[in-house]
Amino acid sequence: MNLRGGWALIKGTWMSWLQQRSFFFLLAFGWMIPPLIMLFIWYTAASTQAIDGLTQNDFVTYYLLFILVNQLTYSQTNWTVGDAIRNGDMNLILLRPIPPLFYTVASEVAGKVVYMTFVIPVVVVLALIFHPALHPSLYQILAFLLALMFAWLLRFFWGYWLALLAFWATQANALLGIQDALIFLLAGQVAPVALLPGPLGVLAQLLPFRYMISFPIEILLGHLNTSQILTGFAGQIGWLCTTLIIFTGIWRNGVRHYTAVGG
Amino acid sequence: MPEPKITVRNLSKTYRVPEREEGLMASIGSLWRRKYRDVEAVKNISFSIEAGEMVGFLGPNGAGKTTTLKMLAGLLYPTAGEVRVAGFVPWQRKPDYLRRISMVLGNKSQMLWDIPPRDSFRITAEIYRVPRIELNKTLDELFDLLDMQAILAKPVRNLSLGERMKCELVAALLYRPQVLFLDEPTLGLDISMQRRLRQFIAEYNQRTGAAVILTSHYMADVEALCPRVIMIHHGQLLYDGTLHLLANQFAPYKLLRVTINDDSQIDTLPLSGGVALVAHEESSWTLHVPQAEVPAFAAHILNTLPVLDIAIEDPAIETVIDTIYSEGIVGGVQ
Amino acid sequence: MYYIRILALFLRVSVQEEMAYRSNFFISLLQSLLDLSVGVLSIVVLFSQITIIHGWNFATTLALLGTYLMISAIRAIVIGPSFESLVGLDGEIWTGRFDFTLLRPVPVQFLASFRRWRVLPTIDLFLGIGVLVVATTKLTQALTLAHVLTFLIALLAGMFILYAILLVFASCVFWSPGFLFTWVFDGIFQMARYPLGLYPGWARLILTWLIPVGVMTTVPAQALTGDIPFITLAGTVIIAVVLVVGASVLFQTGLRRYASASS
Repeated sequence: MNLRGGWALIKGTWMSWLQQRSFFFLLAFGWMIPPLIMLFIWYTAASTQAIDGLTQNDFVTYYLLFILVNQLTYSQTNWTVGDAIRNGDMNLILLRPIPPLFYTVASEVAGKVVYMTFVIPVVVVLALIFHPALHPSLYQILAFLLALMFAWLLRFFWGYWLALLAFWATQANALLGIQDALIFLLAGQVAPVALLPGPLGVLAQLLPFRYMISFPIEILLGHLNTSQILTGFAGQIGWLCTTLIIFTGIWRNGVRHYTAVGG
Repeated sequence: MPEPKITVRNLSKTYRVPEREEGLMASIGSLWRRKYRDVEAVKNISFSIEAGEMVGFLGPNGAGKTTTLKMLAGLLYPTAGEVRVAGFVPWQRKPDYLRRISMVLGNKSQMLWDIPPRDSFRITAEIYRVPRIELNKTLDELFDLLDMQAILAKPVRNLSLGERMKCELVAALLYRPQVLFLDEPTLGLDISMQRRLRQFIAEYNQRTGAAVILTSHYMADVEALCPRVIMIHHGQLLYDGTLHLLANQFAPYKLLRVTINDDSQIDTLPLSGGVALVAHEESSWTLHVPQAEVPAFAAHILNTLPVLDIAIEDPAIETVIDTIYSEGIVGGVQ
Repeated sequence: MYYIRILALFLRVSVQEEMAYRSNFFISLLQSLLDLSVGVLSIVVLFSQITIIHGWNFATTLALLGTYLMISAIRAIVIGPSFESLVGLDGEIWTGRFDFTLLRPVPVQFLASFRRWRVLPTIDLFLGIGVLVVATTKLTQALTLAHVLTFLIALLAGMFILYAILLVFASCVFWSPGFLFTWVFDGIFQMARYPLGLYPGWARLILTWLIPVGVMTTVPAQALTGDIPFITLAGTVIIAVVLVVGASVLFQTGLRRYASASS
């Protein structure tokens, strides 16, 4: 799916509200398919026996949550910010008295509302088919919500600094490909993080991707005890701070470079 | 008498447009029940065009000119009526028919964007089965007529609009079609380029005897190129004949411009019986006078007023046409 | 002969157009290798937890991945780019340049299917073949000529099925011009990465009889790695022929609609 020209085209040419909606639904549909495929596969794999303690029902619950959390935390900054840099709109945004951050956050929130109006009904239908069971305690729900918020912040700023690389290089897309691959493997999409074999499992614990999607879900499903949750939060917040530092650095240098070179 | 190249009888085209309403509830409602509205784009048009003629279709936007043209080219099916072009029924889209016609669309390009024009020409030539030797000869002629040697090596996206239009014409003519449909070919071009293209089209028609049907809303195109004009408005054929007779038929008046050095006398102008004051600038007055009364009126003015200068002009064709569009059919169709 | 000459010309011009874009060969290679790695690692992770699912093990599933990469590459080399330039964003139907295609004395379906090629995805074709070869070395059953022949027949049938389905999705544009149907197909096509056996029963039915993406890759993989009953092979070929004919009829109907309904 080539989105680069698409985003601008959509905004520029498709005026009808419903037509714009269908474009976003298509995007959400596309993002939903890989975890859905994994749901089916693990569901079939666990049909005769539990895998590493997880039953069919566990996998269903896990992946339905994954679809929701993935969509909630998904960062579209590469398309909005990256595009703006590449086609020169960023110059206009930088001139405005409102910090560009607000524009980005605004479009993030707007996008999420639209995507969720597609994803939530689909997840509800799937839940009716598969009957997932979920019995979290109040404490788990609160911890989940906190972790979810951090996860969103982490993924947002991580995606943001990557998008800002467009200030220097027009061909930053290769990095995107690597990023997508890492999220797929280490954020809990190909399998719940606990199931990842040896080296992959270690990488998952060290890199930030687990904290972007998998960690909140692990809390809600009760897969972690209290000390694991606390260490998890430490890791999440640690990565969040690191990301914010990287982001600020790249932003300052990037703007300087961009305006010096003339956009 | 050779059979006319193009015969059109009672041609009509009505199509259904979905109604789009405002608001959220209406959009959702439209998902399961669509409301349609019938648009009559072309209503019962008939005419015939001989081999080698140059005809202009005139009409405001949305009049049905492009729709008619597309039906002649076989791109659209009519709702009713008959069309024969060079003996073929256009919408059957027989390869033999398609090889004889060509179309240039003013705001759309058939050229491949990233490569030099020559390569697009090669593909077209191959598709239309133009033998190599003949192709080179035709291309050389066209490149010469259009003065294009300089741009042949550049990728099309680097060419200006005028240069691209030259390429469009070459692509359309390299297989020597017998009928050429031009839909707004000079759209967006500067004056000198427009003039060059008109010259080229006229010369091409002379040399090869290909019939040319042109739609344009630049009057200059039609005036310069088309001895015959078909006026279409609201899908109906209003007029079929020469441009000059059109003015005479629909607006039989002339404009008289009089320059007087004594303002006070102007009240004595006999403004009655169709004579009206149209414009007044400093010491110059423009009057609208029915054709029949022009000699008498002019004589009267020259005798009674201190005239410094007098000029008698035909009304601008645009004004004539504007009046026709806004007031509808006046008098009959030829 | 005429059609072959035109095809050769289309190929030549497409290469020229591709060159004009100077899309970095190394970035494409990186992307292809990334896709490959993610695909292989997914299978590694899956089979690290379980040895066999409905008859499919690591080696046979890997073989299927190889088949998928090959078919996906062929889609990216020819049929895909042609249909995209017809019905995609900024495509001929959207911009109105489809009129020129309709004026050509050549069947529109031929132009729509073969007008545009891309040569870079040949990388993916070779990678797919590579994966296939590696997978066959891990098979328990010996590879005979009969296996290879039935594989090739099934692969060819799979390609025809792919063509037919794409043609159907592209034809839908004649009825609903604003919607990007080929993106929907992109999502569904992902399901062909895994054997049908790995999907739950009802999903298997849909992917065999409703939108036969599953048949595209599963049957050839089965032909290569095991012994498929003749009826399955024959059935696949018949489905392929029927689908191509049906899709062509749909396309022609769509063309007629376009010529009656547009202005």
